[in-house]
Amino acid sequence: MSDQLLPVSTGRRAGRVVWDVLRTRPVATAVTLLSAVAAAASGLVAPAVLGRLVDAVDRQEGSIGPFLVALLAAALLTAVLTGVSVVLMARLGETVLARLRERVVDRALHLPSATLDRVRGGDLLSRVADDVAKVAEAVTSGLPQVVGAGLTVLLTLLGLGALDWRLALAGLVALPLYVAALRWYLPRSGPRYAAERVAMGERSQALVSSVQGADTVHAYADEARHRAVVDDRSARSLSITLDVFRLYTDFGWRTNRAEYVGLAAVLAVGFVLVRADTVTVGAVTTAALLFHRLFGPLGLLLFTFDDIQSAGASLVRMVGVADLPDVPPAARARSTTRPAVELRGIRHSYGGPAVLDDVDLVLAPGEHTALVGASGAGKTTLAGVLAGALEPSAGRVLLDGAPVEDLRAHVGLVSQEVHVFAGTLADDVRLACPDATDAEVTAALETVGAGWAVAMGLGTLVGEGGRELTAPQAQQLALARLVLADPPVAVLDEATAEAGSAGARDLEESADAAVRGRTTLVVAHRLSQAARADRVVVLAAGRVVEQGTHDELVAAGGGYARLWAAWSARG
Amino acid sequence: MNGHPTTATGLLRRALHRHPRQLGAATLLLSLHQACEALVPVAIGVTIDRAVSTGSVPALLASLGATAVLFVVLSQAYRFGARHVVAGWFTETHQLRVEVAARVLDPHGLRGTPPTGELLSIATNDAERVGRVVEAASLVVAGTTALAVSAVGLLTISVPLGIGVLLGAPLLVGLLQLLSPWLTRRTATQQEDVARTAGLATDLVRGTRVLRGIGAEDAATERYRRTSAAALASTLRAAGAVGTYRGATVLGSGLFLLAVAGVAGALALDGAMTVGQLVTVVGLAQFLAEPVGLLGFAGQKVAEARASAARVVGVLAAEPLHPTGVPPLPGPGRLELPALGFHVEPGRTTGVVTTDPADAEALVALLGGRRAALPGELLLDGQDVAGLDPAAVRARVLVEPHAVVLFEGTLRTAVDPAGAADEAALRTSLTAAGAADLADLELAVADRGRSLSGGQRQRVGLARALLRGPDVLVLHDPTTAVDAVTEGEIAAGLARLRAGRTTVLVTSSPALLGRCDRVVVLREGAVVAEGPHHELAGRPDYAAAVLR
Repeated sequence: MSDQLLPVSTGRRAGRVVWDVLRTRPVATAVTLLSAVAAAASGLVAPAVLGRLVDAVDRQEGSIGPFLVALLAAALLTAVLTGVSVVLMARLGETVLARLRERVVDRALHLPSATLDRVRGGDLLSRVADDVAKVAEAVTSGLPQVVGAGLTVLLTLLGLGALDWRLALAGLVALPLYVAALRWYLPRSGPRYAAERVAMGERSQALVSSVQGADTVHAYADEARHRAVVDDRSARSLSITLDVFRLYTDFGWRTNRAEYVGLAAVLAVGFVLVRADTVTVGAVTTAALLFHRLFGPLGLLLFTFDDIQSAGASLVRMVGVADLPDVPPAARARSTTRPAVELRGIRHSYGGPAVLDDVDLVLAPGEHTALVGASGAGKTTLAGVLAGALEPSAGRVLLDGAPVEDLRAHVGLVSQEVHVFAGTLADDVRLACPDATDAEVTAALETVGAGWAVAMGLGTLVGEGGRELTAPQAQQLALARLVLADPPVAVLDEATAEAGSAGARDLEESADAAVRGRTTLVVAHRLSQAARADRVVVLAAGRVVEQGTHDELVAAGGGYARLWAAWSARG
Repeated sequence: MNGHPTTATGLLRRALHRHPRQLGAATLLLSLHQACEALVPVAIGVTIDRAVSTGSVPALLASLGATAVLFVVLSQAYRFGARHVVAGWFTETHQLRVEVAARVLDPHGLRGTPPTGELLSIATNDAERVGRVVEAASLVVAGTTALAVSAVGLLTISVPLGIGVLLGAPLLVGLLQLLSPWLTRRTATQQEDVARTAGLATDLVRGTRVLRGIGAEDAATERYRRTSAAALASTLRAAGAVGTYRGATVLGSGLFLLAVAGVAGALALDGAMTVGQLVTVVGLAQFLAEPVGLLGFAGQKVAEARASAARVVGVLAAEPLHPTGVPPLPGPGRLELPALGFHVEPGRTTGVVTTDPADAEALVALLGGRRAALPGELLLDGQDVAGLDPAAVRARVLVEPHAVVLFEGTLRTAVDPAGAADEAALRTSLTAAGAADLADLELAVADRGRSLSGGQRQRVGLARALLRGPDVLVLHDPTTAVDAVTEGEIAAGLARLRAGRTTVLVTSSPALLGRCDRVVVLREGAVVAEGPHHELAGRPDYAAAVLR
């Protein structure tokens, strides 16, 4: 269970993936790009017109009329082009993003079991949540602005060049200063922003932990310590936030210096050129106004640089997952058959000592077998192997005497892990069989004794943000999903463990109903469940040590008999 | 009862009063910054007029020097002003967050505690929005200053033009602001749809193993694809609104520029204005959008802060769950619920069996103070708990619920949160709780005990309760996640460590009930039977509830 990370792609590969999508829409891509360039270019018309106006004033000739017409045309043209380019860019960017996020989620849900066990849970979650959100944010609000600003800067420099190449050169003097400011800022800001995010995460965690555990905090009069932890983590994140902002304002000071140098250079060079009669006062005015107008878009580019960088990092992480091989949809077997299941010479270790050591086990067709043993005996591992969730280090699983290509297609597993999917009750259960009718969903719920769910209404929102279900209710939903999926073989791994003792009994009945008619292995926690099974298998230190019916094992007076005596403890 | 403001306005006012130094410095410096920003177009105009048009070198040097000073003052004023703003803003946020946490953790509890997610949002987002009132206040002053400086500049050049610009700029910003609620509405739906997509992805990935168990990966992928497509459609609809808004903004400022340049240009062509003045007027007209926008922005932030302040006050000034009371007098630890005819004998171990699990839950909630006791409902050593101090009652009556909550730390801090016990005592209670296998006291424990198995969590919680050694210990289903052998050990350990002290076991485990001095059976809010386990075992309803 080492902590491995999912693959991360390269910038080149990410660019390639985006390009491949864009290539399938050549017209849309070209039109979008053109509209953005045209919008930025039309924004330069107004300062040019104002420059001409200044020249006219300088010469004291001409009338205001033509200038007004030109300014009006510029305003209308820029407005329309800006609006159109924003819409087109969203169409293109958002579509590419949607396709990419769908691919990421598809691959994440189809990760090979072995990979799923090895990767850190948080890594997978952050790929589908944080990374997607970050790239989406960049596409939705960042992309049009950054592209617009970038084009404006580029075209403005070209515009300056068109006025006079020496004025453009003067403006370019600021460039090294901007680059220096950025090179000063980025290496310092990255780690600080990362530290800030970590500190905020820890702060939220301290809060959530104290709030959720408030009853326990009160019970142990532990209020002062928890308050101190919240105070401490909040103060820490405050100090990082202030530190980050200090850096940000220092960066601002550096960019202001670059702005001044550029503006002063344009004015000084303009002064010289006007004195030499090479350019007009109006041209210098235009140049100064153009340069002044650059402060906004340049600042935007500079201050979103780390957002762009981090969106890039997220994109690379998304593409890393999206590039995983595609898994074709699997065909599921239904319980029209009741196969015999045979485990032959199963051994398994998680890299250390053997957890399962040469286990042979046969489940007869339709037979219910209970697996009993102390914690650490290997019960869950064996259940995982039988369910096809775990590839054993050695040994084979046979169905009706023959190996099968995809064991998981035949076996349904309900484990200790309880998850209520956010959405309606019907949606939750229907995940097991998307075509199921409401009547079939209701029938599945009633089979497992979840009449409360039917009474509540199939449309009730449950899971995160919906109505909170108790642990036994959530497990009943899992059993209802099993009924609807209708696999020929079922594995229940301590499906009743988290419920209180009273709830556990009801759940046992639900579980019995859910596996009726299937070849079944139940990892039994409560011995009452073992007592009702057709056969009991006792596992100790990875080996089968006893097996037989409940009555046989109790009569045999071995380890199981002692467990049973302790469990039933009559008198 | 506590010293917090009780209204949203009160909370905002306190936020401003709590940071006088930061607020004062920020207001001064940001006003200076805005004034300097207003002067940049003036400086360009003056440079063109005095130097570029005349060709005077000393004038050029003087202009560029003055502009340099302007830039230095401008950027330093912003640099330090903004730092003061952020310091005030986030210090206030921090203080509010700590206050909210303290209020939630107050031993008296609070009536109607919001759900965790909402509380988290109040302690982070709402606290941050309330703190932002510090920024909004300094921006109002700074924006007004910039308006005043621009007004003086414009009116000096041309009175009618100045008045026109001063009326036109706010009008333009106001008109654009009229569009913004429409835009917010259009984008809000889109943001919700996108958030739903993100939520669905997280939710499905969290449940991956469950999905795999029943082969539902394809169905889940398909569901995500549909939601993602719907979100895309909604985003594209919103993009139309965003595009329109951006276009309107560009058009509005373009038309404004047209009007100003038209009037100023006509005046200049008539010789009533110099070239430099024309440049200044045009520059100022463009700049004016900034302070006007700042004022609108500040107004919006104050409105947001007010809404958030109401939510923060809702927590800070919430009614306590338990009224203040007197500490209980010492006693042997006898509990009574007269209405149920139920009592717990001091110094003995009492088992409680309920026919309905909800009754057990309700009893434990009352004993643990998760629900306030009504007058006369619950007596501790003959004293009405409703009139007692809740923290002092908890110091005598400890309830460890079925769902054990452990906090981040080590095994040592999990078992001994107070840090008061020696190692021998720790080991004794771990052994009695059947957790002797957890030998490493420095073992890291993740939040909510996630790094431990369900059985380990339960046993560690039990060891924690035993170590505390309260006068009255109430345990609810303490052994549901442990195996039968360990359960027997725990039953023996409990009997050993709790000998002579009051213990209540709300459970249906025969292994635990068999060791109780007396078992009480509750059905429909009343005691229906009591006696030792082996005597009750003959009753069919008892057997149905316990022995199966």
